[in-house]
Amino acid sequence: MSDVLLEVKNLKQYFNEGKASEVRAIDDISFAINRGETFGLVGESGCGKSTTGRTIIRLYDATDGEVLFNGVNVQDKKTKAANKDFNRKMQMIFQDPYASLNPRMKVMDIIAEGIDVHGLASSKKERREKVISLLETVGLNREHAERYPHEFSGGQRQRIGIARALAVDPEFIIADEPISALDVSIQAQVVNLLKELQEERGLTYLFIAHDLSMVKYISDRIGVMYFGKLVEMASADELYRNPMHAYTKSLLSAIPLPDPIYERSRVRTPYNPKDHNYGSDEHVEFREIAPEHFVLCSDKEFEEMKKNYVPKES
Amino acid sequence: MSKILQVKDLELSFHTFAGEVKAIRGVNFDLNKGETLAIVGESGSGKSVTTKSIMRLLPESSSEFKNGEILFDGKDLTKLPEREMQKIRGKDISMIFQDPMTSLNPTMTIGKQIMEPILKHQKVSKAKARKVAIELLNMVGIPNAENRYKMYPHQFSGGQRQRIVIATALACNPQILIADEPTTALDVTIQAQILELMKDIQKKIDTSIIFITHDLGVVANVADRVAVMYGGMIVEIGTVDEIFYNPQHPYTWGLLSSMPSMDLNEEKLYAIPGTPPDLLNPPKGDAFALRSEYALKIDMEQPPPFFRVSDTHYAATWLLHPQAPQVEPPAGIIERMRTFPGSRYYEATGGRA
Repeated sequence: MSDVLLEVKNLKQYFNEGKASEVRAIDDISFAINRGETFGLVGESGCGKSTTGRTIIRLYDATDGEVLFNGVNVQDKKTKAANKDFNRKMQMIFQDPYASLNPRMKVMDIIAEGIDVHGLASSKKERREKVISLLETVGLNREHAERYPHEFSGGQRQRIGIARALAVDPEFIIADEPISALDVSIQAQVVNLLKELQEERGLTYLFIAHDLSMVKYISDRIGVMYFGKLVEMASADELYRNPMHAYTKSLLSAIPLPDPIYERSRVRTPYNPKDHNYGSDEHVEFREIAPEHFVLCSDKEFEEMKKNYVPKES
Repeated sequence: MSKILQVKDLELSFHTFAGEVKAIRGVNFDLNKGETLAIVGESGSGKSVTTKSIMRLLPESSSEFKNGEILFDGKDLTKLPEREMQKIRGKDISMIFQDPMTSLNPTMTIGKQIMEPILKHQKVSKAKARKVAIELLNMVGIPNAENRYKMYPHQFSGGQRQRIVIATALACNPQILIADEPTTALDVTIQAQILELMKDIQKKIDTSIIFITHDLGVVANVADRVAVMYGGMIVEIGTVDEIFYNPQHPYTWGLLSSMPSMDLNEEKLYAIPGTPPDLLNPPKGDAFALRSEYALKIDMEQPPPFFRVSDTHYAATWLLHPQAPQVEPPAGIIERMRTFPGSRYYEATGGRA
């Protein structure tokens, strides 16, 4: 059995709770991420995938439920020191490399901020050396340390964001749409970099995106979210080979592929949540349809899906 | 097929404090009636600048046409006075921008924004313009158009806003529609809807579309022909099948290879090494040579001319010169070429047995 690093249990995040404008951004989701793996979280804008990431790293206080990191609930009140320690172990890479770097700080200081806060360098010289080695790790060079963010391209900025996250030697990185703002060829560079770093440092990733093709490529397991709920979860291959939930099918059918002949014959399956037609007495829950493959469905749907399920050929 | 727009030897520079940035360095293409031409390339390759120069949306104070012409309807758009240009913009040629959040005016109702080009370009009454605007909203799939017509942009979702932008662009039945990354800011599902909408509308009103994007999946979906831009020039142009199944330029190979494929389990994604050229000091030879493993000696010295692959397919790479060594494209590209009749890797059996 693999070693669980992060466990999310019945997490709920409601905004404006109790008011008419209540928004259930995350509505009771549970999943676990093993040490060293990449868990992809996909879904359309507004489905709650970014909120999930932000709640895990405590940018929001959860309405209900638990997030266990190394077995400790991150939402609990902790001492300052314990908090600091937690912050060091979990880092985030943001979507927009233009908005997430302070334009008035030099790259050196942006990357060293975490090092300073956690007192990871004993001298100016060590601090400098650390930053330079980080820059080199992410494929930039020492001259870049003295520049400002505006002097860099989008891909380079995202590398700076990655270097900043790595500066405090984290175990777990939440990457919130790290490549959505980048060109295709630059996307490939950044994704390769993330993969290399994972191998070298044994990092664990939560990779949030709406681009399913890249998510499949980088993730070991994928969770699909729709309107605050996790509707399907499986290994990346399994999810693409055997999508079970109607929303997953619809999402997969919408990805344009670089293949004109396929595109001409492609039929998009639209998703309408009303099609489920759940009765009031039906129990809709997360069920395991195949080993490690979970689908949100009712009893009736579950039976149906089991019939249609095509197990992997071996 | 009749040519509706011709861009000939277009060269355009920006004057900056650092010096002259040669953003477009000799671009040639034609746009046929009713077709969709996709322009692909990285940020900074000149694809947006090319279309903005067709619309003459670049700041006159810092940009300069160095050479060439843009022929539309017997007129050279590069030389037209602003007054004349205003009669064309939004009427004969209109544009859809990338970000629907910023391309609509937040202080105006959407109805008013759609009516604006109609009232400006056509001699119609306000009541008539209003009717047309509601029809347009219906056409782009905004439900309950009569009521929603009075609403403001913030009351719509991203996908709906892009539909409204499209309705505005179509208000005067343009002959050419320029779409600059119209779906980049949208989700895959919404993207698919918008692309379907654009294709439907094109069939209905028979307009020509120039579609700018860096997403090759989108290109495969919408385009009839594709122009690949790099470093301010077109490096390869052809029909969509020719570009996807028989690409000739190493840059096109790189672009196609960096897309993750759905069924192959590749270990490492191909990434084009290096960064795009600095157009302040454009390279002497082939702009892509420094990033290309297929670069020849001559690439460093002389920019390659266009070599003909077929009547519709041209590529600017010395690799196509009769004296050039025969090189092996990346494995994924050979895989693509196998399916294309006329390519040197074509297998009539349709793949390996």
